[in-house]
Amino acid sequence: MTSLGILAAEMTNTEVWVTNSFFLAIAAVSILAALKMVTTDNVVHAALYLLIVLAAVAAVYVILGAEFAAATQILVYIGAIMVLLLFGVMLTRAQIGSETDLDHDQKWIGALISVVLAAVMGYSLWEAFSDAKLPDNRVPQGTEAVADSIFGIYIVPFEAISVLLLAALIGAVVVARRD
Amino acid sequence: MAQYLPVLALLILAALFAAISFVASKLLAPRRPTEEKLAPYECGIIPGREPPQRFPVRFYLVAMLFVVFDIELVFLYPWAMIHRELALYGLVAILIFSALVFESFVYLISKGALDWGTLQVSRRQHNELVGSQRTSSSTIRRVGGEGRFEEVVRTREPVVTEEAAA
Amino acid sequence: MGGHPFLADGVDFGDVLLSLVMVVAAFVICLVATMLMVWFERKVVSRLQNRIGPNVAGPFGLLQTLADGIKLFFKEDIIPTRSDRFVFQLAPYLSLVPAFLTFTLVPIAGDFSGGNGSSTVFGREFYWQVADVPVGILFFLAMSSLGIYGIMLAGWSSGSKYPLLASVRASAQAISYEAALGLSLASVLLVAGTLSTHDIVLGQAGSLQTLNVVATGFVPFVVFLIAGTAELNRPPFDLVEAEQELVGGFHTEYSSIRFALFFLAEFMNTVTMGAIIVTLFFGGPAPLFDFPFIDFPHAWWMGFILFFAKLLVFLFIFVWFRASLPRLRYDQLMDLGWKLLIPLSLGWLLILGGIRVARDGNIGIVDDSIGDTIIVLVLGGMVLAVGASLIMLANRNARSERLRNEGLVAVANPDLGTSRAADHATTGPPGASHDTAQVGADH
Repeated sequence: MTSLGILAAEMTNTEVWVTNSFFLAIAAVSILAALKMVTTDNVVHAALYLLIVLAAVAAVYVILGAEFAAATQILVYIGAIMVLLLFGVMLTRAQIGSETDLDHDQKWIGALISVVLAAVMGYSLWEAFSDAKLPDNRVPQGTEAVADSIFGIYIVPFEAISVLLLAALIGAVVVARRD
Repeated sequence: MAQYLPVLALLILAALFAAISFVASKLLAPRRPTEEKLAPYECGIIPGREPPQRFPVRFYLVAMLFVVFDIELVFLYPWAMIHRELALYGLVAILIFSALVFESFVYLISKGALDWGTLQVSRRQHNELVGSQRTSSSTIRRVGGEGRFEEVVRTREPVVTEEAAA
Repeated sequence: MGGHPFLADGVDFGDVLLSLVMVVAAFVICLVATMLMVWFERKVVSRLQNRIGPNVAGPFGLLQTLADGIKLFFKEDIIPTRSDRFVFQLAPYLSLVPAFLTFTLVPIAGDFSGGNGSSTVFGREFYWQVADVPVGILFFLAMSSLGIYGIMLAGWSSGSKYPLLASVRASAQAISYEAALGLSLASVLLVAGTLSTHDIVLGQAGSLQTLNVVATGFVPFVVFLIAGTAELNRPPFDLVEAEQELVGGFHTEYSSIRFALFFLAEFMNTVTMGAIIVTLFFGGPAPLFDFPFIDFPHAWWMGFILFFAKLLVFLFIFVWFRASLPRLRYDQLMDLGWKLLIPLSLGWLLILGGIRVARDGNIGIVDDSIGDTIIVLVLGGMVLAVGASLIMLANRNARSERLRNEGLVAVANPDLGTSRAADHATTGPPGASHDTAQVGADH
């Protein structure tokens, strides 16, 4: 039985069916948004499409029961990093209307490479996880569990992040300096 | 996950409400556009200059600092939830983390990234900067800002020639 | 922990029906509350300014907002030629939807004096809130950060000067105060130990000491109130629509119903922010303390009355702010947020954590926990002092660097107030000649 067959068999279970259809809808939205993001001819529109992709990832986290990760995704990526990005765009050159110099001659090569990359990644994911299943009776992962792992096995990366943030801020100051 | 379904429902309801309002307004409101109405609003003055294209880089630095504090928040919340179980170990861990973030915050302040507005100098220094004979050009120059000066010269051109003639 | 009792495991038709009823009810409550809030604000402000305020439409002018809303439906909708049509039309949605969604978190009724705040209808247990999501507080923060987009994109897409300036100001202001908001929230989380708003309210029920405003030591509440007002762009933090400088702010180009939706979102956010403050710091529908003589009826509507009374106090405070406080200057605004509120709430959070760990007897510098607590308090005070002096030092350094860049030398005493006084002492006209003025101006 192929994996698609398993998927079809599972679709008879209502809960799985609902979850799967939600996932498919979110996936379709995010793929469409990603395509629009690279083809649109306005920087701010591109940023908005990226916003949709990031929100879709948050929605997938919710479906998987990783609610803390979903909230973090919205808070950090949409609430902070995208605002930073939009600031960077809006504060310098965000024209209204279409811009022609966003296009590039090598876009077909880029498209080819991205298709190849997607195929390789998709294949490896399929090979590794195609028969993996979400547990039937999955409990949403609580914030306590996340806290336990941050302050348990991930304590060194956690402390390292603070150094990384320091480096990021110094970098920002250097980029923004007067001369 | 099912707890989020009411949230989704309310989201759809709110969006529908906005959409229906737009449709209703489209049906009910008059539509008599004129060129003046559709022009950018500038209190009746015909818009001469383009909207500013460049802003102070401080806005960017503030956004960057916000990213840093947001990431710190994301780690502070889990600690706050289980700080009793973690006891001293967790406290020390979060203190080290916060100290490092705070250090970068202080660095940013000392680089003047969070200083806004015109420089606040004492009255005496201020007077040296401006002088008692304030003219329109000196006032405009004192505020500073690239691109402004040419503007002044261009609009004041007849006056300048008059002065030169005199 | 957390989670709606009847949606967490399995969903059947009755659950869906009940949720739908609650969603529609929340939607209606949001709209009506917003309408009343606009009326309340106009009425209170006019009373504070010796005016009467709206008094024609309906009893006491209650229907004034409705009349204004209906009027706006009939007004011409203008989309400026130089605007980005797509984003221009999208922005009101981005402003309105998060305003609605935040309300889902607020428990508006329920019996918390003895009960667990749930009610039963047709054999189904439910809470008096639309969704008790397990990540409650984070959801609130996420929604308030989404609200920035409405303002930011509305300003950018207008293709006009003033909205653009306002939106850049507004988004910088919003992100600055959101950090303070989040840090003061962390203190609540520290005391409550849960992210779910229902459990936070439950934890505060009982006595005055368990109220979060007392348990977190008042400072987080003050920070939250200030940061919340700034996040709402309400006076004295309304630089976003500073009429004297920016015409109408980010919605200058918006007219008709599009403007009405921004207006609606703004006031809805005000109501919701008041409700969130009540929920997080004042126990929401739970009684403030056990009243010694009176035995209140243990019913859900008692909770609603308590919640409404508390909410009204905060809404009045918001209006009071608007009527009494002058608008801040932009640098004052940023300084207040970054150099005072954020370090203060961060330090307070860490000290609070330290005290709580010490009180459990888990630090062990000396043998008993009271001694530990005192040591932690002293150490915490020292850390706060060091942090404050570091920030002051950094500030001074930044200032002298700026002075040097302007071609001036820092005066011995850079404090503005004293040098002003010194200026007054040295009388005579400001002694700079025209030449020096030119030299200075060349920089």
